[in-house]
Amino acid sequence: MNLLFYLFFAVVAVLFVLFVWSLRSSKASGARETIPEDVGRSHVIYLPQIRQAMAEADYQFVADKVSLKTQRRMRKDRRNVALAYLKELRGDFDGLLRTARVIAALSPEVVAVQEWERVRLTVSFRWRYRIIWLSLLAGFTPLPQMTDLSKLLSGFSVRLEDAMIKLGERAALVGEMASAPDRRRIHPA
Amino acid sequence: MPEIATLERVLWGLSFFLNVGLVLLLLYWKNHRVYPLFFVYAASAVFQSIALFGAYRAWGFNSPASLSVGWGTQLLVTSARALAVAEICHRIMAKYQGIWKLARLLLISAAAFVALFSWSLSQSNLRSVLLSFDRGMALAIASVIVILLLLSRYYAVSLEPTVRTVTTGFFLYSIFCVLNNTVIERWLTHSTMLWNVLGTVTFIASLLLWAWAFREPQEQAAARPEMLPESVYGSLVPEIDSRLKTLNEQLNHFWGAEGKKT
Repeated sequence: MNLLFYLFFAVVAVLFVLFVWSLRSSKASGARETIPEDVGRSHVIYLPQIRQAMAEADYQFVADKVSLKTQRRMRKDRRNVALAYLKELRGDFDGLLRTARVIAALSPEVVAVQEWERVRLTVSFRWRYRIIWLSLLAGFTPLPQMTDLSKLLSGFSVRLEDAMIKLGERAALVGEMASAPDRRRIHPA
Repeated sequence: MPEIATLERVLWGLSFFLNVGLVLLLLYWKNHRVYPLFFVYAASAVFQSIALFGAYRAWGFNSPASLSVGWGTQLLVTSARALAVAEICHRIMAKYQGIWKLARLLLISAAAFVALFSWSLSQSNLRSVLLSFDRGMALAIASVIVILLLLSRYYAVSLEPTVRTVTTGFFLYSIFCVLNNTVIERWLTHSTMLWNVLGTVTFIASLLLWAWAFREPQEQAAARPEMLPESVYGSLVPEIDSRLKTLNEQLNHFWGAEGKKT
């Protein structure tokens, strides 16, 4: 009985937190939740510079020639570059995800399995992203994996764009949906 | 009605007049046409107050007859509240055919599961069954509101300010009902005084929120946005989901490499 008593309090607490969070988020998202105008864009155009900045050889070369203080600053700058890059990866991911959500919202039929799968993947991605973010903050710079991620995202964008072009008129509708300022957020009222 | 404390009587009177004020406000701005089920709920709450007042005058506060009237009208009002929340869900989501079908299924399943689960925990006596029923309904309403808001956020469906305020009123009142019923079942078996006072205060807060929400005429629900052809979803979304899955696997690999390093 005691357990059940506390269970109800716990459920109410969870519901309350979720309620406040979803209300606050939906209010804040009024300005933030927009559909990207350039779905096919990717951070990949900056990849050569990022790779150069993160190259171990570069660091070794400079390390022999500058003071410890400068090396520390350089390490810090490199880490900041990696963090910024990871942030861009997430931005690309979120942009593509938003496109999928808008397509779902404006479709007369949706498939529950597809929708659930995307929710599951999003939760999983965000959780792992946070772990990687923290490990980067702790001083790791896993560049090869980051490159894989970058390739994957850019490939995804290109394929999505191809698919839209093939869809002809329908793609134009999606494009219009993404570019018209008054339709970036689903708000027909 | 000497058993009822002065404070409770004052609060009850205040809530009654606020409730009547809300009904009149809905009628004055013709919002009863825009939110008919909410109007039915507000009117049923007025009817409950009148019925309870009559019952307490005729049979006394703690008489079995008053108890029957109290729980009977409570059943009606709780059902009307559930329908009013369903109306809000419809107003927010029904414009989007596809996700509305999905949301409707999810909301009905969640509400049924939560209500039945909560009810199944009741003890064998009638009082406990009634309390559990009321708690189950309140918990189901609160859960439905949270799921609705999460879905709205996920699909970036905007909420009208009125809907947001009305929803907040329903949510606060519902979770308070859950807490109140739980506390009363556990500790206040022989006294319903605190239950009535706290419940009335919460109801007054919700009434003020609703009166604020309906202080001006409301528009009918917006027309449905132009839907995309069905094939757009069928062609693009599976592709996106598949790529997201691959991306997630890559992130897994990424994380695995990190794990080995640490």
